[in-house]
Amino acid sequence: MKIRKLLIRWLGLVSVGIRRTASRATYTAKQRIRFSVLGVAIVIALLVMVTSLGVGLATSTTVYDEDIDYWIVPDTNSPESPLIATDNPQFSSVHETNNRIREHEEVESATPVLSQVLQMGTNETKEYILVVGIINTPELDRVSGLGSSPLTPNDPYYANGEYKGEWTGNTVLSQSAAETLSVSSGDPISVAGNNSFTVTAVDNQSRSVGNVPTALVQLSELQSLTGSTTYDQAEQFVVGTNSPTVQSDLQEIYPDSSVRSRGEMTASNTRDSDLSLALALTAFLVSLSIGLLFVVTTSGLEIVADRQQLAILSAMGISTKSQLKLVGVQTIVMTGVGGLLGAVSGLVGIRLMNIAATRTITTEPIAVSHPLFVGYGISVALLIGLLSLPFLLVAARRVSGGVP
Amino acid sequence: MARSAAPDMKTSSPSTIVTANDVTKVYQRGSEPGRLARVLGRSEPPTVSAVDSASLDISNEEIVGLAGPSGSGKSTLLHILAGLERPTEGSVLFQETDLATLSKRNRTRHRLKHIGIIFQQFHLLDSLSARANVALPLVELGIGKQQRRRQATELLERVGLGDRITHRPGELSGGEQQRVAIARALITDPDLVVADEPTGELDTDTGRTILQAFKEVAENRAVVLASHDHETLEICDRLIQLRDGTVTNRLKQESSSDEDS
Repeated sequence: MKIRKLLIRWLGLVSVGIRRTASRATYTAKQRIRFSVLGVAIVIALLVMVTSLGVGLATSTTVYDEDIDYWIVPDTNSPESPLIATDNPQFSSVHETNNRIREHEEVESATPVLSQVLQMGTNETKEYILVVGIINTPELDRVSGLGSSPLTPNDPYYANGEYKGEWTGNTVLSQSAAETLSVSSGDPISVAGNNSFTVTAVDNQSRSVGNVPTALVQLSELQSLTGSTTYDQAEQFVVGTNSPTVQSDLQEIYPDSSVRSRGEMTASNTRDSDLSLALALTAFLVSLSIGLLFVVTTSGLEIVADRQQLAILSAMGISTKSQLKLVGVQTIVMTGVGGLLGAVSGLVGIRLMNIAATRTITTEPIAVSHPLFVGYGISVALLIGLLSLPFLLVAARRVSGGVP
Repeated sequence: MARSAAPDMKTSSPSTIVTANDVTKVYQRGSEPGRLARVLGRSEPPTVSAVDSASLDISNEEIVGLAGPSGSGKSTLLHILAGLERPTEGSVLFQETDLATLSKRNRTRHRLKHIGIIFQQFHLLDSLSARANVALPLVELGIGKQQRRRQATELLERVGLGDRITHRPGELSGGEQQRVAIARALITDPDLVVADEPTGELDTDTGRTILQAFKEVAENRAVVLASHDHETLEICDRLIQLRDGTVTNRLKQESSSDEDS
C-alpha cells in the first residue's frame, strides 16, 4: 500500500513537473525556459556536428564503396598478428589468397588493398597523393571512390608467383588529384620517382570522402614501389557479395584477422582512429562542461526566481523532498527537450556543413550523418541534466520553505 | 460548502483545535556577526518582537478574527498558528501536538493534513490550471489521478468555478483566484483554515462573496482570519485585538453569533 502511494505520488509529481515546464515554456515564463532549452540545444547541436566530422575523418581513409560488403582486416592488437608488421600489420601472400576468395561461389568481387601516400607528379608539379593498389577484375566497380575499370584486369605484373609480368603503368586519378597535379588522361606521370606510369583515366565521378587526392594503380606495381613484394603484402581485402553466409568463410582465411560488415567497419574505424576519437571525446567533454555550467547557471537562477513558488508549495504541505523531485523532473524535461532539438538541429547542421563544403572546398561530404546521433545527443543532454541535479537540489533546498 | 464533501469526517462537537500559550516571536534585523566581525567590534544585530506573550484558544466551528493595525503582529501570529513559523518562546498546541517542537519536515506534513492556508495575494501556482492548483496537495498525499481530479472539480464547483477549472490563474479575476485558493485550502479537509487579509486584494462586492464563502468554510472546522478591515472581521465569532505584538483586547461578537445561530 505504501509503495503504491509512493508510486502514485511519483507519477503525480512527474505529471505536474512536465505540465509545469510545458506551461512555463509556452505561457508564464516563455523567455527564461526557451533560453535554457536553446542553450542546451546549441551545445548538443555543436556536439553532434563535431562528432560527425570526427566520424567523417575516420571513414575518409576507408576504402568505401557501395559494392563492397565485407572488409578483411588484420587484428591490430593480436600478439600473433599475421602478418608482417610495418607501421600497421599487413597480410601476406595476398595474390594467392585473393584467388582463393574469388573461387568462393558467393563472392562476386574481391581485391586486396594496399594504400600509401606517395609523391606523384610531372617534371613541373610534384604532390603527395594517396595511392591505392588493387587487383582489378571486371566485377569490381569502384574502390576508394574511383572506378577501377580503366585498369588492366588481374594485375598482370604479378604472374606465376613472381613480379616479372607485364608492367602496365596504369593510373586512375581522382578529379582532385588530376587538378592538383595538373594532368589529364594520357599524360605520363611519376609515382615515387618511377616514371613509367601513365594517367589511364581521370575519374570525374570520384567519391573519395573529404576529396582526398587519390590514385588507383595495380597492386603489384605499388608493392614493387614500396618494397612490399617480399611477402606479397596488402593491408586489407574488400569483398563484394550478396550472401551474408560468406562472412564466416572469410573469417577462416587468416587466423588473426577480422571480417567486418559495413556497419562494423564504420564503428571500428571511428574507434580505432585516434584523431577522430580524440575529436569526438573532446567534443563530448567540452559539451558536457559547457552544458553543465549553462544548465546549472540558468536553472539555478530559475530556482532563485522561483523561490516564492517553492515557499507556496511548502506552505501547502508539499515536502521539501517532493519539491526537489519537481525541480529534478523539470530539469530533466528541459534538458531532454533541449537535447532532442539540439540533435535534430545538429543533423540539419551536418547537412548544411556538407553542402557548404561541397560547394567550396571539396567534392564530397566531409561529415557523416546518422540517425543514432539523435539518441546520442539526447543521452548527453540527459546526462547534463542528471549531473546538474545535485547542485540544483542543494540550491532548491536552501531557498525552499519560509513564508511566501 | 459543507464539510460532508470531504473524504474524512471529523467530529462535529465544538472542541479546542489550537492553543497558543505565551507565544513570543522575535526577529533579528540583519545577520549574526561572524568571528571577524566580532573581533572588529560589530555588535549583535538589533531584534524586534513581532508577537509578545500572546495566548489564545481556537475551537472547532468558530471563526476567530485577529484584528489590529499594520505591524501589530497579526500575520506573524497567524503563521505561527499555521506552523509556518516557529515561536521564539511559548508553545502552540495543535490537538495536543506542540508545533514549536516539531521539525520543519514534520510541520510541513502537519500543514498538509491539518491546516489550510489562504493568502492575501492568493499565491496560486501560475503555471498550473485552477484544478491542478487545487489538486496539488492530494498528489503529496498519494491520491490517484482520477480521485484528485474528481475532488478538485467538486470543490471548484462548490465555490462557483465549475466552468473555470482548466483556466490558469492569469486567466481568472482576483475574486476567482481567491475562490480557487479557498478550494485549495479545503481540499485536504483541514481542521484549521487560516486566512491572511483574504479580502485585501478584492473589491467590496467580491470581498463580500468571499466572506460568505468563509462562513460556509467554518462548518466543522476552525477558521482564523487576520485583517484590519472591519467588514471582514464582522463575520468573526470572536475578535482578538493586537497592538505591537501584544493581545490588548478580546471581544465576543454578539451580532455575528446571533446571525449564525
